[in-house]
Amino acid sequence: MSPVAAAIQRFILAELTPGRYVKSVGYEDDLLNLGIVDSHGIIELVSYLESEFEISIDDEDLTPENFASIASIERFLAGQTATDAGLG
Amino acid sequence: MSLELLYASRAAQPDGIAVVHRDDRISHRELVELVELVAAGLAGRGIAPGDAVALLLPNNLEFVLCFHAVSALGAVLVPLNPQFKQEELEFCFRRCEVKAVITDDRCAGVCERISSSMDWPVDVITTRPAHPHMVTLEGLMSEHGAAPLAPRPADDVFVYQFSSGSTGRPKRVARTHANVRAEARTYATSMGITSADGVFCVVPLFHTYGMGCCLLSTAQTGATLVMLEDPNPFLLKRHRALDLLEQEQPTIFPGVPFSFRVLAEAPRDADLSSIRLCFSAGTALPRSTFDAFLDRFGIPVRQLYGCTEAGTLTANLDGDPVDTFASVGKPVSGVGVRILDDLGEPVPTGSIGELAVSSPALTAGYLDTAELTAEAFRDGEFITGDLGMVDDEGRVFLTGRKKLLIDVGGYKVDPIEVEDVVLSHPGVDEAVVVGVAGDNPGEELVKAVVVVTDNSDSREIIRFCRERLANYKVPHVVEFREEIPKSPMGKVLRKYLI
Repeated sequence: MSPVAAAIQRFILAELTPGRYVKSVGYEDDLLNLGIVDSHGIIELVSYLESEFEISIDDEDLTPENFASIASIERFLAGQTATDAGLG
Repeated sequence: MSLELLYASRAAQPDGIAVVHRDDRISHRELVELVELVAAGLAGRGIAPGDAVALLLPNNLEFVLCFHAVSALGAVLVPLNPQFKQEELEFCFRRCEVKAVITDDRCAGVCERISSSMDWPVDVITTRPAHPHMVTLEGLMSEHGAAPLAPRPADDVFVYQFSSGSTGRPKRVARTHANVRAEARTYATSMGITSADGVFCVVPLFHTYGMGCCLLSTAQTGATLVMLEDPNPFLLKRHRALDLLEQEQPTIFPGVPFSFRVLAEAPRDADLSSIRLCFSAGTALPRSTFDAFLDRFGIPVRQLYGCTEAGTLTANLDGDPVDTFASVGKPVSGVGVRILDDLGEPVPTGSIGELAVSSPALTAGYLDTAELTAEAFRDGEFITGDLGMVDDEGRVFLTGRKKLLIDVGGYKVDPIEVEDVVLSHPGVDEAVVVGVAGDNPGEELVKAVVVVTDNSDSREIIRFCRERLANYKVPHVVEFREEIPKSPMGKVLRKYLI
């Protein structure tokens, strides 16, 4: 797992899974179907990603495809940082 | 109660669509057959009239089938929030003496843990097996044939639900088949719902609002239940919600302010012209949300008011929904609303007081606390704890709460319940929990004010709460103080903590 994916995994395990009896979250695990990213979790996750990776997540990017798993979040972040670099 | 309504819809329009869920379009004929199969399977597991059966499921087809099947057997429904943590679930299981729980792979493990700690066996049935040894709903449905079931007596208990209270843990409410039958009838009549309608379901079915306005109203009328599959988190599901609204063209949309705000701010447009009634309940509808949804889709969102004890009480069906947007409307058919002063006497029209309501859908009282029942239920009325007024036209306006409850996105959080958990942290000496304004209009957040005896920080206390409380109850903010401000009589001065 890449450092970015590992950081996201650490955040999820520390902040979103307490009390849910989730011992581990795999790279491809479905965060939505597992109930890990719920209505409160998505707000916290977006806030974390924006501050940790210094990006701004637009409304149109708030889709199940972008937040379904650690893998999809990592892919989304890679696209974001590439876009930001292009704009910069 | 509900199965006889499904039988009536099957007789009237067997091939009409009862439920839309994912790619499934379930006809009334198919729905009855599926419900009978589930009921037969549950009966085969030993579920009998009077047994409490918990439903711990997100909004999906299985919830609908199990809801109707459990009630058709004469067993008592216990719909629970899948966000609940182990301690919260165990409390509900014990209070209701749950005999079986129907859940999915997310919660099956915790249900098994609870089951192993109970003094009686709790049958854990899953819709998606987490382990090969688990009993599955699909397996149960294949074991027995479908068979018609007789209507249940009106006085049988239909459902146990939990109402937030001003003191301690949530209070258990029992509503009978007669109560929910009355709610379904009065709501459907007041809204003019027919089999030609479609009800768009995004609110949780375990909650009174979803149960009454979505499940019961469609069962009562034969209208189509259009389900947004597992709508949590709604923020990520709004594109799917807009797709469904355009494709299925439902006519009635019960939501909460958050749903309407998120859709109004969606990056894409949608044609929602099929909708004739949009209702918002759970918490006050901010004017900005009303305006944004009206501007975006041309539909006025109307406020609706209800409670766990009695279901829907009032709804804004005014001819001028723009000028009257702040009103929760007039009482629905069969419901009475009075505004009382502190002595329990009616106040003059236009004056603010506490709402007292009467309804054929009203529970007889709280099951486990005679004292609170005596306080809240008087002469056939329920004293709601909500403050409001009635204008010259009979419209009800809510102005606040007499109780301490914190309103987090429509979920009522009892600060005492959260305080109990915060105080159980070994480093916390004193704790008071209050509601504070959030960044968005009308938003309320949970704040814990604590006095600690060690180096515990806010992160640690929030984590401690997360392990024990559903996420919406967990404090957003922890404030540390040297002492909690109190009156000379020792009463906590909450106003200095907000």
